[in-house]
Amino acid sequence: MSESLLCVLTEDLLVRVLHHLHSDADRKSWRLVCKHLNRVESLTRTTIRILRIEFLLALLHKFRNIQELDLSLCPRIDDGAVKVMLSQGSPGWTRGLKRLVLSRATGLGHSGLEQLVRACPLLEAVDVSHCWGFGDREAAAISCGTRLREVNMDKCLGVTDIGLARIAVGCSRLERLSLKWCFEISDLGVDLLCKKCFYLKVLDVSYLKVTSKSLRSIASLLNLEVLVMVGCSLVDDVGLRYLENGCPLLKTIDVSRCNCISSSGLISLVSGHVDLVQIAAGYCLSELSGPLVHCLKNLEQLSVIRIDGVQVSDFFLQTIGKNCKFIVELGLSKCIGVTNMGILHLVSGCGSLKILDLTCCRSITDAAISTIADTCPDLVCLRLESCDMVTENCIYHLGSSCLLLEELDLTDCSGINDIALKYLSGCSELVRLKLGLCTNISNIGLSQIAYNCRKMAELDLYRCVYIGDDGLAALASGCKKLMKLNVSYCNRITDKGMEYLSHLGELSELEMRGLSNVTSIGIKAVALSCKRLADLDLKHCEKIDDSGFWALAFYSQNLRQKTCYAGNTWFLQPV
Amino acid sequence: MDPKGSLCSNNWARSACLTSPGNGLQTNMSSDPSPFCGVRVEAPFKDFNQPSTNQSLLMAEPNKDIKISDIENCPLTDSSSQTGKLQDWDPNVMLNNLSFLEEKIHQLQGLVHLIDNKKCQPFAQPDALVTQEQQLITADLTSIIVQLISTAGSLLPSVRHTLANTSPLVSQLSQLRGLNLPFGSGPSGGIQPQNNNVNKVFDQSTQNDVPNNCELEQNNMEEHETKDEEDVEEGENLPPGSYEILQLEKEEILAPHTHFCTICGKGFKRDANLRMHMRGHGDEYKTPAALAKPHKETGSEPKLIKRYSCPYAGCKRNKDHKKFQPLKTILCVKNHYKRTHCDKSYTCSRCHTKKFSVMADLKTHEKHCGKDKWLCSCGTTFSRKDKLFGHIALFQGHTPAIPLEETKVPAVPTDLDSKDNTCDKVGNMNFCFGSNPPNENEVQNIMDVKGNIDDPINYFSSLNFEGCNFGGFNEFSQSPFEDSDASFSFLMSGSFNYAPKPGGESTSDNL
Repeated sequence: MSESLLCVLTEDLLVRVLHHLHSDADRKSWRLVCKHLNRVESLTRTTIRILRIEFLLALLHKFRNIQELDLSLCPRIDDGAVKVMLSQGSPGWTRGLKRLVLSRATGLGHSGLEQLVRACPLLEAVDVSHCWGFGDREAAAISCGTRLREVNMDKCLGVTDIGLARIAVGCSRLERLSLKWCFEISDLGVDLLCKKCFYLKVLDVSYLKVTSKSLRSIASLLNLEVLVMVGCSLVDDVGLRYLENGCPLLKTIDVSRCNCISSSGLISLVSGHVDLVQIAAGYCLSELSGPLVHCLKNLEQLSVIRIDGVQVSDFFLQTIGKNCKFIVELGLSKCIGVTNMGILHLVSGCGSLKILDLTCCRSITDAAISTIADTCPDLVCLRLESCDMVTENCIYHLGSSCLLLEELDLTDCSGINDIALKYLSGCSELVRLKLGLCTNISNIGLSQIAYNCRKMAELDLYRCVYIGDDGLAALASGCKKLMKLNVSYCNRITDKGMEYLSHLGELSELEMRGLSNVTSIGIKAVALSCKRLADLDLKHCEKIDDSGFWALAFYSQNLRQKTCYAGNTWFLQPV
Repeated sequence: MDPKGSLCSNNWARSACLTSPGNGLQTNMSSDPSPFCGVRVEAPFKDFNQPSTNQSLLMAEPNKDIKISDIENCPLTDSSSQTGKLQDWDPNVMLNNLSFLEEKIHQLQGLVHLIDNKKCQPFAQPDALVTQEQQLITADLTSIIVQLISTAGSLLPSVRHTLANTSPLVSQLSQLRGLNLPFGSGPSGGIQPQNNNVNKVFDQSTQNDVPNNCELEQNNMEEHETKDEEDVEEGENLPPGSYEILQLEKEEILAPHTHFCTICGKGFKRDANLRMHMRGHGDEYKTPAALAKPHKETGSEPKLIKRYSCPYAGCKRNKDHKKFQPLKTILCVKNHYKRTHCDKSYTCSRCHTKKFSVMADLKTHEKHCGKDKWLCSCGTTFSRKDKLFGHIALFQGHTPAIPLEETKVPAVPTDLDSKDNTCDKVGNMNFCFGSNPPNENEVQNIMDVKGNIDDPINYFSSLNFEGCNFGGFNEFSQSPFEDSDASFSFLMSGSFNYAPKPGGESTSDNL
């Protein structure tokens, strides 16, 4: 890029161009062009994810306008580090911060958290999910952020009603709150939350030991739109009846795995909210009763329905197809009774279907899939795991009709072969492809995919035993954006294949269990080149010795988790 | 008092053969009814002098507590006037008292001589008569001794008198003194008015409520024709005699024990326990008759429902209150009085903040104290989480507090200034019975309240060291008042009040 060209482009023009760059890699290239572009990028950058804490201060100094700080990859951040950040970092970096991601920051204590929250006057969102050690004091620290609208406390195991009460009182403007796996929270806490936070729009109480009493409290929330209560096994139909008359704006409800609810409870819920958009009720009913299906008829706005593990009838699918014209996502994973005929009825009405999960619907055959492919051109995601009657015939339809397909799960579909993959390569938008246990595919088919689906980011080749070094060579040259790759038990892969893989600069997760032909040389090559590698699974790679691990330790600075199994010894090395 | 004499009397009583008490003694007795004023004259005893009547009656009465209260009544009602009088220590009064003491001791000697004479006589009389006479004599002895004690108490130096303002105990003492003073000045003359001063709440209430009550009540009325002003007005607001109102005095309410062994002075809360205890004192207490529950009053008499009034003026449970609500049982009275009108002297040993006046309340609290302390940011604590959350939901800005560490509430020292009258009283009563120390908690508490003693143990031991007191009293109590336990127990407690007063000569010394 010449000097003159840059003179033409003013800063605001550059900013506008920059807005069109989304991926990290592209932005990185942009930054590397020249100081000028680098400066523009750093000034306009609003989100920063810190990979390693030692660069934190410098990065904070450089990016002054950040609104979101993601420290989820710095689990070792502690109170002392926070103190240093606040005292020695550039003075203003906290001023505009709106979002703080501290997921898995288990080293952080309540005092540090409080300092951090207090230092950010505009803070609107805090994510402390999976900080399993967090308790009431940390919750109290979070409650210092009076402007908070969003708090995620998934799996903060120590948080009790007291902590929740602190947040409820301190952050009265709260709109989104997730309490998943905060096992200590009970009805009392939820009740108080509902009394104090009127603006709640999204509430996740999954796996809490709450009863129907909580639902009575929740029903009083006038602004609630999304209620997720997966695995609340103490909630019963009485609770759902409370919801029937409450939460007038409710759009989304997830009652999956609530063992104690039945069709009648769901009927009352559905009849109270005819404009429901999403329903998830997986694994809580044994079968969809006739009256419930009749009720579902009224839900014209319904776009997402997930009823995993339920026995369904053709009548249900027909009803959905007839009445729910806007259905976008249908989850029938592990449903018993899904037949070709049912699918035909369904898709005849639902042309807009984008996501269809037919995992383990084993009676589905090519006919159904072909119809889906023909009638749902917008299909983005199709999951056909364990549908072993699927063959290349239907993949042909998919490859020719569903050009928007981004995700396809063909795990354990033994009917898939190289020809099928050739057809599939027509779906050039494919980002995620799972071919685990498809033992009939070989390097040829994989090459087809690799050369045509260049956006591929995630590929699963678990136990595709015919895949060898050539396939990986094709991948390395075709799918440059590959981030996750699973080649476990593809025994034909050798050090040569590993060397090909080392060309995948974006690769961050690599599973290579049981690759008995790979030695330390191959690993060294990967360690040298795949700088973003974060997760590596080397279990049963028996030929890899110490030199391989040294290489990993030395070169792969971003490695977070490495699973190895050598002989009798487990090494789990979080870095 | 001559210990030998009491011992003699004891011996004599055992031998139990008395024909009739001496004449002088008799007059003396009759002239001194005041300490026993809770007298309900019963027909068979009518002819006898009052103290003995009283005692036998008390024996027969199932409701000893009430009787005792009546007895205690007198000092209390007098208290206001008497304390004022006794403020300054008058040598004349002192002299009077001394002469009175002299006289009494003479009487006592006479009595002992009489006993001595009787000893020689054969045991010819029927058993019933013997016991009756025995009773009379013991009553005489008792009354004299009580007079001696109380008069001796009035001899205590004037330091007492200043104390009397604050300490109810002392005021009570002074009342006792006041009662006795007239005797000193004129053994037979000044007694009657004094007697009249004594007001019988029980009698009056019954009198007002139930005009046509039994003969017993009428007798009482005759006896106490001139009643104290305050008490006369009582009962006017009461509904017509649906029940009988009894009012215990606070000293009685606060007494730790209501039944006392006449031999060793040990106190008991229940009469049954006392009877069990008495078995240890000899075979005569092991008879079915002695062990049997005392008879209720004869069934012929119409039994009225008994209700109780709180002695605290202005209290809703006080019979003078417009919306008077009676208390059902004595236990209710006790608990009510302690809870409502006494300082909360029992402090929880865990939280050091909660205080109670009833031991049972403290124990109930301690069961739950500290287990779950739910604390609000405003400082309010809750025993239950849902209560805390209800509180938080109610008030804007309140949040649950998260204890940083074990919050140490500083031990609140018991208020040294506010000497609790009642507890003082109780304390003294407790301490009197050095031979049977009250249960430890109470002692502890009393000492807390007293507060002027730094080390409770020291205090306690020092009390015990006043062995002379107890020795004297033990000797005194050796006489077998087997049939007058209740009244005597009161006597003991009343008289014993002098004993622990530091600074003054111990009662036994005076005696």
